[in-house]
Amino acid sequence: MLDMRHLSKIYRTEVVETYALREFTIDVREGEFVAVTGPSGSGKTTFLTIAGLLEEFSGGEYWLDGVDTRGLNDRQRSRLRNEKIGFVFQSFNLIPDLNVFDNIDVPLRYRGMPGAERKRRIHAVLERVGLTSRMRHYPSEMSGGQQQRVAIARALVGEPRLLLADEPTGNLDTHMARGVMELLEELHRGGATIVMVTHDPDLAARAQRQVHIIDGTIVELTADPRLVREAQAAGADVSQP
Amino acid sequence: MHLQPIFAAMRRNRVGAAVIAVQIALTLAILCNALFIIQQRLALSARPSGTDEPDLFAIANEWVGAAGDPVARVQADLALLRSLPGVAGAYVTNAYPLTGSGSTELLGLDPEKLRAAPAAQYFGDEQTLRTLGLRLIAGRNFRAEEVADLGSFDNPHPAGLIVTQALARKLFPDGDALGRGVYYAGQRSTTPIIGIIAELQVPWTSIGGWGSAWSGSSMVVPFRVVTPSAYYIVRAQPGRLSALMKSAPRRLVALNHDRVIDGVQSFQQARTAVYRDDRGLAVILAVVCAVLLAVTAFGIVGLTSYWVAQRRQQIGIRRALGATRAAIVRHFQTENLIIAAAGGIAGIALGIGANLWMVSSFATARLPLIYLLAGVAVVLGLGQLAALRPALRAASVPPAEATRTE
Amino acid sequence: MFGYYLDLALRGLVRNPGLTLLMVASIGVGIGASMTTFAVFRAMDGDPIAYKAAELYVPQIQNLDPDVHTPNSSVHADGLSDALSYIDALALMRAHAAPRQTALYETRFAVTPSDPQLLPFQVGARAGYADLFAMFDVPFAYGGPWSAADDQAHAPVAVISRALNDKVFGGSDSVGKVLRLDGQDYRVVGVLRDWNPVPRYYDLQDAFGLEPDDVFVPFTRAIEQHKFTGESSNCSGPQRAPGWSGLLQSECVWLQFWVQLPSAADAARYRAFLRHYAADQQHSGRFHWAARTRLRDLRQWLSYEHVVSNEVRMLVVVGFGFLVVCLVNAMGLMLARVLFRSADTGVRRALGADRGAVFAQGLIEAAVIGAAGALLGVSLTALGLAGLRALLSREALVLAHMDLPEVGMAVLLAIAAAIAAGLYPTWRATRVQPAWQLRAR
Repeated sequence: MLDMRHLSKIYRTEVVETYALREFTIDVREGEFVAVTGPSGSGKTTFLTIAGLLEEFSGGEYWLDGVDTRGLNDRQRSRLRNEKIGFVFQSFNLIPDLNVFDNIDVPLRYRGMPGAERKRRIHAVLERVGLTSRMRHYPSEMSGGQQQRVAIARALVGEPRLLLADEPTGNLDTHMARGVMELLEELHRGGATIVMVTHDPDLAARAQRQVHIIDGTIVELTADPRLVREAQAAGADVSQP
Repeated sequence: MHLQPIFAAMRRNRVGAAVIAVQIALTLAILCNALFIIQQRLALSARPSGTDEPDLFAIANEWVGAAGDPVARVQADLALLRSLPGVAGAYVTNAYPLTGSGSTELLGLDPEKLRAAPAAQYFGDEQTLRTLGLRLIAGRNFRAEEVADLGSFDNPHPAGLIVTQALARKLFPDGDALGRGVYYAGQRSTTPIIGIIAELQVPWTSIGGWGSAWSGSSMVVPFRVVTPSAYYIVRAQPGRLSALMKSAPRRLVALNHDRVIDGVQSFQQARTAVYRDDRGLAVILAVVCAVLLAVTAFGIVGLTSYWVAQRRQQIGIRRALGATRAAIVRHFQTENLIIAAAGGIAGIALGIGANLWMVSSFATARLPLIYLLAGVAVVLGLGQLAALRPALRAASVPPAEATRTE
Repeated sequence: MFGYYLDLALRGLVRNPGLTLLMVASIGVGIGASMTTFAVFRAMDGDPIAYKAAELYVPQIQNLDPDVHTPNSSVHADGLSDALSYIDALALMRAHAAPRQTALYETRFAVTPSDPQLLPFQVGARAGYADLFAMFDVPFAYGGPWSAADDQAHAPVAVISRALNDKVFGGSDSVGKVLRLDGQDYRVVGVLRDWNPVPRYYDLQDAFGLEPDDVFVPFTRAIEQHKFTGESSNCSGPQRAPGWSGLLQSECVWLQFWVQLPSAADAARYRAFLRHYAADQQHSGRFHWAARTRLRDLRQWLSYEHVVSNEVRMLVVVGFGFLVVCLVNAMGLMLARVLFRSADTGVRRALGADRGAVFAQGLIEAAVIGAAGALLGVSLTALGLAGLRALLSREALVLAHMDLPEVGMAVLLAIAAAIAAGLYPTWRATRVQPAWQLRAR
């Protein structure tokens, strides 16, 4: 699903070249729940933005759901983003001028979906996160946990192949955080592929697999033994870098 | 005061800074020129005509048909007018000041008019000076016998001329005009200047228009106008003007029906009418300036507020490092001043350029430096004022902003 | 998507009333100021007989010694007067070098109503030849022009305006009736419909007068009756002899002259004729200089005579400058708005909006602001015109008005201006990197 090979991302200023990601190789299979951890500045946010096609990379390859993302133009990348990826951000990033319904509506609009179909999907996804009663409310009228659930609903409404979450519980108190994590786990059980960046080891532990990034490279790979055996059987190279 | 961070900030917001600078430049260019034009037009419309305007009015008289002796009927009219209670003087003429229409004649020092000065000519008689309230500063008034009758297309030789001081100086710069002879119209012999009056404006008032270069050069010529079309100028005793403006025409018509009274106008009404466009333009330009300044001010408020919001964290950091509130305000005010100064320099160039274009297209005057300076002061001041509110809001950003990570 | 963007634009603008108001006001005020001055300019710069403008010409002859510079309000910078002397006007009429031609001047008559109880009153009049009615396409309600024979015979005939006809004859068909002008009987041969071209191209000294000419009489008759013009006359040059005949023989210029020359060949021929005529005058000793001549068509004439007053020209420039300031201001405000909302733009980009979508949304938003600004602008234009009318004399801006074409133009201009102002800010919005926004915390 999310297949990066020897990827690198270089930031160039007038004076210095910084490698945000270096020789980055990772393969997230469909249906996996991966937690990405690492200290500040390690590049885990960069990894996520590149994975989400929000940024371009300098070298290497990135295959998303079988599509080579090199050389895609802005329109193609936007379309891919829209159809295949759902984002959940730490600061929710709901559009404050729009109510819940219209916020969730946004990605469907860019897909050119007709009104009836959009309405159906939005209702369905709101029910799934349990916020149907708040459909006409504005983000400012809701708690952090509710806003994040709306964000998750927005991420799901397009039936994406991949969910990318960046510190999804970072701005929430323990109680709300627990609710969001439970939702994520539920989604995973339902077959969703989730990649979650977090600095909280307890949260990371709830994922299926953990990936640790330091200085732009994957340092550690803690794999679910069952998956490793399946992969080996399929002939994949699971040796540590 | 460290200017380096200000310049760095401006470089990052190049377009926004340019927007403010351009607005200031254009507003300044328009403001300077507008203020100058306003001053010009208001000064223009305040010029005295040299006559006692509050007590004077004119009756436009048109004789109908050819019946009646032209001289006799005019003399009868004058006798009637002069006899009316409340009338302090009356005469018949071709033109009067503040109307924009009249007659011009060249006074020459030689018959070929190689050395000559143009002047507005007002026909009149021995009562003209008294009626209009003109002050003789040298010489004497006309005598009744010196006044000749002037019919259509006649060219009589005037017995003498009364000229304004300005005209006398033009013709005789050495100052000794009284008694000297000048060549009037196409006459082959000279006419003496028998009197000099202090001031009498030409009828034309347009800025840069006919007569504007010699607006003080007028003369009174002793002709009694007996053409079909003429004006009676009447001086009312104080307080009697409005009543006389109604009764005098009626009495004239009663005296002789073969006429049309084509209008009665007081000199004050004439002044209002002739300067209406000038005053109107002044008002329009004043409104334009006020609105322009408001628009620019609001634009500055908007953009500066954005910059303050954009740099909240930076401000917090500065405060955390020890900057006082006043220092933050000074920072933004200085930034605004630099942008405004850049706009001001461009605006001065634009303003001068616009003025030069107007001078060549409309023959207006060159812009005096004081208006540029005044404009710069107003615009810079306004900019500082507009930036104050956002700057004060910036100053209230708490140092804790430095530590916020989102 | 257009409907979606429209909906978003409206809602976004409503939720930020302060900024929206400033942007709309900026556009509206700019449009109002520039459309006001433009409406005035259009009224003054109008071409009332545009379809014929290329066929109507004014000849000029240099009848004043170019070496003698006496101040003369008729003479332009090129040394030519803008009126003709009687000698030249008569000579040109006699030569009949153009298919249609007329000498013309303004004068005034006293009308004596048949009812002796009523007072006589003055009317503005025009003396000309019969051709003038055909040349200027003057519309008749009753009757028609007098004939060339009437011109020859100095006939006491008159064509009167609708207004005068209403006043004296109660609006009836007064052809054949008698009108008493200056104590003499004139026979009415025609009554006009309302006709007052703006500007009055054939008499630019009264270019924007509200009073149309009430009486038209044959030129020859007016001259015979010693009717002089009420407008300006200039008598530089050799001193004229006294009396009416002295005036007619002098170099005083006070007459307008118009010819109709249907083709360019006709115009070329007339120019040659003028040159020969001037040369003849020089040979005969009337001029001791090489007299220049010019032939200008209507458009050239209007421009030569500076029909549009300097005040109005000034105001047009100010109006345009105003518009530029307002557009720049609007752009600045739109830029601030775009930058304020760059987080939202970043979110949309993340959710699948490509740069084109961001651009389209931004432009539609600008267009909505433009439309709202147009509403304000149109009202302000009406207000501005009313204000101008109150402040300036009627002659300065008669007939400056707003009707449907102007309103349409204002709306289009406002939307176009708003989109132009929004181009850069919207382009900036598309430059927003989705990642940058999300990482900037």
